[in-house]
Amino acid sequence: MSVFQALPAVAVGEWRAMLRNQVAVAAGILMLALTLVAIVVSHERVGTVNAERARFQSTVDAQWANQPDRHPHRVVHYGHYVFRPLSPLAFFDFGVDPFTGSTLFLEGHRQNSANFSDAAQSSVLLRFGQLTPAFVLQVLTPLLIVFLAFGSVARERERGQLRLQIVQGVRGATLLLGKLAAHAGVALLLGAPAFIALVAIAVVHPAVAAEAIALLAGYALYLLVWVVAAVLVSASLPRARDALLALVAGWIVTAILLPRVMPDVAAGDVGRPSRIETEVAIHERLAAIGDSHNPDDPYFNAFRARTLQHYGVTRVEDLPVNYSGLLMAEGERMTSALFDEFMRADYARQTAESAIVHSASVASPLIALRRMSTALSGTNLDSHARFLLEGERYRYAFVQRLNGLHVNVVTPTGAGDERIDKHHWEDTPRFGYAPALFAEVAARHAWPAFALLGSWLLALFAIGGWIAKRLERNPA
Amino acid sequence: MKTYFLELRQIAHSRLAVGAVVLLALLSALSVWTGLHAVNQQRATLERIAASHAHDHAAILATQLRAVSKTGSAEAGAVGYYLPHLTVNPPSPLAFAAIGGRDLQPSALRVRILGLQSQLYESESINPELAMPGRFDFAFVLVYLTPLFVIALMHDLVSSEREAGRLRLLASLPKGAADTWRRRVGLRYGLLWLAALLPLAVGAFIAGAGVTGFGQIALVATLYLAFWFGLAAWVAARARTSAGSAAILLASLVGLTMILPTLADAGIARLSPVSKGVELALAQRQAVHSAWDVPKMETFEKFFRTHPEWKDTAPVTGRFHWKWYYAMHQAGDDAVAPSVAQYRASMMAREDWTARAGLLLASVNVQVLLHRLADTDLASQLAYHDRIGAYHTQLRQFFYPYLFEERPFTPSDAAKLPVYDGSAMKGTLATGQLLALAVLALLLLAAGLRTLRTVR
Repeated sequence: MSVFQALPAVAVGEWRAMLRNQVAVAAGILMLALTLVAIVVSHERVGTVNAERARFQSTVDAQWANQPDRHPHRVVHYGHYVFRPLSPLAFFDFGVDPFTGSTLFLEGHRQNSANFSDAAQSSVLLRFGQLTPAFVLQVLTPLLIVFLAFGSVARERERGQLRLQIVQGVRGATLLLGKLAAHAGVALLLGAPAFIALVAIAVVHPAVAAEAIALLAGYALYLLVWVVAAVLVSASLPRARDALLALVAGWIVTAILLPRVMPDVAAGDVGRPSRIETEVAIHERLAAIGDSHNPDDPYFNAFRARTLQHYGVTRVEDLPVNYSGLLMAEGERMTSALFDEFMRADYARQTAESAIVHSASVASPLIALRRMSTALSGTNLDSHARFLLEGERYRYAFVQRLNGLHVNVVTPTGAGDERIDKHHWEDTPRFGYAPALFAEVAARHAWPAFALLGSWLLALFAIGGWIAKRLERNPA
Repeated sequence: MKTYFLELRQIAHSRLAVGAVVLLALLSALSVWTGLHAVNQQRATLERIAASHAHDHAAILATQLRAVSKTGSAEAGAVGYYLPHLTVNPPSPLAFAAIGGRDLQPSALRVRILGLQSQLYESESINPELAMPGRFDFAFVLVYLTPLFVIALMHDLVSSEREAGRLRLLASLPKGAADTWRRRVGLRYGLLWLAALLPLAVGAFIAGAGVTGFGQIALVATLYLAFWFGLAAWVAARARTSAGSAAILLASLVGLTMILPTLADAGIARLSPVSKGVELALAQRQAVHSAWDVPKMETFEKFFRTHPEWKDTAPVTGRFHWKWYYAMHQAGDDAVAPSVAQYRASMMAREDWTARAGLLLASVNVQVLLHRLADTDLASQLAYHDRIGAYHTQLRQFFYPYLFEERPFTPSDAAKLPVYDGSAMKGTLATGQLLALAVLALLLLAAGLRTLRTVR
């Protein structure tokens, strides 16, 4: 028998065996149903979330524009809300979205946290995993693959069929490849609903087509790694139950244990200050620079001297502009520079933590896949940080714009309770930011993950070649 | 006794069984260790926060009291505006076993005497990528991993005897097979119980949770194991082959611990959406800020409705007065009281629905029970909010006489500021939930053992 005849024969034989196993067929159908439910439920959920955030955004935008005549500094404190919209691919993998607030309150002199995360307002149920296609493909499908494939070679060995086939002249490599092909086909079938959903998204939203296709490729590669691992373990252990045990142990360690233990390791290694400590640290730095309320403060005395010189006058009262507005603008410039510095430092620490978790992807393909999946779905730490940084930039811009009105529109010599016309509020630009470029996201998160999953696959194939040569040569 | 010893030797001969028991003990120990580590980190963070806050508090107070040198007193309104007050929510002694929401929720919050509702929901700056996978704590090992070990030890209980041809022999023994099965199930149960709970006992001792604390968790764990042993015995008695039995049990595990709970979570999210918090925040902002644009008397009228004791103080005539400013903030809080009630009700609804799901799903029930015991659930967070609210009221009432009677604020007054009671709360045992778990577990165990008797 030639390879071209033997290989399909092995694969078809394996399929036939799987079809005879009613438990396997039932589990497969259930998994397909679950993937479908996950796609529908999470797609609908993302739709609801986005509609809600858009509704909130338009409400607050309207509230902002409809403010009465006010002193601009009142408006600085009135502040503005921005809401983070979700990428069309977020339905595939919610990522960090349930764990980060999506609501940012932007006001003068202060940097607020993103509040009201789903997880912080929900029962403990959410913490095992949410019903997303990503969860099903990352955690549950590998387990099913293990169940379908653990006996693929070992059971035939137990029954003595394996030796028989080798004696009949089927090469070990052909046999293994046939089994691989059979189980790879099943794995792709299990992933099919999710893959079809990704293709559909790519067609409907061409803007994220590249991300969707990369996601598809990544998940296919991941499932393939599990298939190859399962068949190889089955081929290298004497009994099917040993293979099952080893594979389930592998699943526990790589899909459950490492992803959960690594964050603790990372948090312990890096150590980040809490929000209150950061707040105090910023406050201390500010106090060291100067206090605009203190008439003898050297920094602000110098600032006043500079301002007077700039306008060519000798007294604050003679300035053609509103001096308290200038003070506000200068204060905002100083606080914002510090906010920015602390924010970036904290983001660097968080990235360092995430890097420690990612380092375990060498042992756990799930960690590699999750990194790629959340990055491409626009639901990773980077995309959240992007929202925060863009929000902060927007905050600074509109607060300084209001301070500009304070300087130029409010009477310089007033008592401080003047109001300026409300048309100024409508002129404020709306918050918006462009999503990250695919090339950047891919270079940072997807290509490294692909490289890792690819290396896993190559390594497994290399081991497979070795196992195939020794298949039933040394009788156990 | 001798038969038990023989059975134990039989188990000891099985590599799978020994490996399973040792592995479970290791995983349980690892979870206890990471739990203790996480809780210690939280305590250390609270200490750092307390130190950093004390420093900040002293500096702000000194700045505010500097005016004393000139006028003999500081402005209470300004002190109240700038001075933050620390509240903390330290972990309970059992928190290490079920960390729950503690890694997401802020365990310390600073409040000023401004409107509470704009300060209460500040979130901690967590790394969301670390929070995403969930914690590896004892609750996780118990709920999701222990059943796997039950399956490993139980799936071939009957079929291995059948496959070895000893089943008929067993059934024909004078004392009958029933005793043998019960003994074997009991022995496996005992081994896994010890493997899972010994590390927990050590952890509870280290954490100072006491015998009661450990006993309560152990009770929940005992019932949960009974649930799985009952199910496993039933399946093992019915299934023809070991592989079939293992597959059915694993399907039950995935279904009961992963698929149904995530479906329940998706359902709960639909029934009770989480957007009420945002609505509350938006309403609060409108309520406070529109007060700047209405006559001061309107604001005072609202404030006096809830604080009539200050009704007869002098009216505000000028452009600004601190007492008007704080009355405005309080009136803002009062205005959103219905939204606050709604928000809390929506969160409690999610908690209630989870508990209801737990009446049917043992895995959910155990999580609800353990997190309530460890005081790390949503209810704990709401209780912390209540304590912050009570402290905020205490602070406001401390400041009001200075504001409304225009009393000077001196350094000796600052020493009298109310202090937050930062002792750890204890969780409670939800007896109704426990009863539901007990009924479910014992019924299933009885059914499993009964079915084993009928094995041929």
